[in-house]
Amino acid sequence: MSNPDQSRMKQDCANKRECMQMLQLIVDGEATPEQKDHFLKHHLEECLPCFNNYHLEMAIRQMLKSKCTGDCAPQELVDSIKAKVIRNLTS
Amino acid sequence: MELEETPKQHYTEAERQQIFDHEFMPHINSMYNFAYRLTLDQDDSKDLVQDTYLKAYRFIESFQKGTNAKAWLFRILKNSFINDYRKKSKEPSKVDYQEVESYYNSEEVDRQITPDLRVEALKDMIGDEISNALNSLDVDFRTVIILCDLEGFKYDEMAKILDIPIGTVRSRLHRARNLLKEKLSEYAKQMGYKTA
Repeated sequence: MSNPDQSRMKQDCANKRECMQMLQLIVDGEATPEQKDHFLKHHLEECLPCFNNYHLEMAIRQMLKSKCTGDCAPQELVDSIKAKVIRNLTS
Repeated sequence: MELEETPKQHYTEAERQQIFDHEFMPHINSMYNFAYRLTLDQDDSKDLVQDTYLKAYRFIESFQKGTNAKAWLFRILKNSFINDYRKKSKEPSKVDYQEVESYYNSEEVDRQITPDLRVEALKDMIGDEISNALNSLDVDFRTVIILCDLEGFKYDEMAKILDIPIGTVRSRLHRARNLLKEKLSEYAKQMGYKTA
């Protein structure tokens, strides 16, 4: 997606609700290729609120992924689960 | 316990061990993170994960080898949390889903469309702001964000994990993200960003 000239974009979106629902589908990877293509390549080029919303949603998702995942389960927990299951198997 | 209606499987001891080691255990870090984000307590989350894995082992014949183990495990964990842990909390948070559904179809949605939050402000949140914002949400809203944004589950998988229709997954997710943005906007304001 290019970085369009924001002053020439629509400053207000005529289909806010539909766009917002479409945006969610796209961000969640649930939109069809056609929907995605239309929204990302056509609508976002001309609609400033949707352009901003899209980038905000993507940034939030990236932040969530990088800040709220990646911790490992404590090793003692892993060991304890394995030990209990092995005891189950042999009992 | 099963995610899909699968006929009861029969596994040898070696197969059970193999499924457990190669299909269940690889999800332990995600499971621990899920448990921690639900309970917000390290000891509770350890107990919850352990209970879940032992249950998963006990009911292993309801699981069909090679299918979606992660979703199956998450569903068990979520049910254990509701049955065993949520009761313990002093103030069980309850969401009025009727309200959520009607919210989604109301004019209020339009008003909140442009959040007072900017990407630049978000990028300056280098501490625990986003994690704290997530943890501050009601557990039902927190859950959909964890499943979708942290763990990458699809809507149909989330519907099965949570036992709710896909439409409810979508509306709950929408509401959850708006609440998260409101919380992040508060942080942005505290950081001195103008959020006009």
